[in-house]
Amino acid sequence: MTSELLPISLAIGAGLFGIGIYGVLSQTNLVMIMMGIELMLGGALVNLVAFWRLLHPDNYAGQVFVLLVMTLMALDMAVGFGIATARFRAKGSVETEEAAELKG
Amino acid sequence: MQQVVAVVVFGLAAVVLGAGIFRTSSMVRSALSLLGSMAALGALFLALEAEFLGVLQLMMMATEMAIMAIFMVMYMMDPGGLGKMEMAHQKRVAIAFGVIAGLTGVALAVLPAWAPIVAVAPGPTLQVHDLGIELLTRSMLIFETAGLAILVAMVAATAVAIVRRRP
Repeated sequence: MTSELLPISLAIGAGLFGIGIYGVLSQTNLVMIMMGIELMLGGALVNLVAFWRLLHPDNYAGQVFVLLVMTLMALDMAVGFGIATARFRAKGSVETEEAAELKG
Repeated sequence: MQQVVAVVVFGLAAVVLGAGIFRTSSMVRSALSLLGSMAALGALFLALEAEFLGVLQLMMMATEMAIMAIFMVMYMMDPGGLGKMEMAHQKRVAIAFGVIAGLTGVALAVLPAWAPIVAVAPGPTLQVHDLGIELLTRSMLIFETAGLAILVAMVAATAVAIVRRRP
């Protein structure tokens, strides 16, 4: 076990988070935007697991936090696909550029 | 040393496959890329000796991505990517924000003086046992809240997606 493991794991999480942000900001399709959000949450998961394992493996609140983020990933998919289904029924497309009427 | 190599290999696989999601115009390939990235994360958790979370991640993500692939084929105009449709906008701004966020995260990972790491993790059996105790004692309210949130999301998703009947 070397001390580099924590920065390496956190850097991997940061990489996933950065790619996720790129996806959320650049994609025009609702499903692809949701993929970006999944990647960002995946980055958060790596950080949480690394913090739990390498700093406080005796405190299981860290693992509970991981379970919560996993739940959040599933919820984001469920609600996102609900909205996508409603949008597809109404307009025949889930492209965000065709949803200009949602602008405030 | 083997653990560091495993973490680096699975971590790089997760990042490369994650980047692959937005590099193809085929939705099916994007979904498979995300599945690969999430599976690599599961393997990374296993390498970090978080056995229960690793297996959970692998099982959950395989199911979730299979559902996502079905929705993609349903809702995309060109799921196979044969038309080479452009599906991105404001690319430069997005790349700038992504790079800034990534570099900030890496700086925050490398620069601070972290506390000394704990060399020995609890064994897999003990982890599952202690997590169960944690979930049903100190963190019970949080656990119940997560369950309630799932119920609310199920009702909300169904209410949003259901076909409204005209009276």
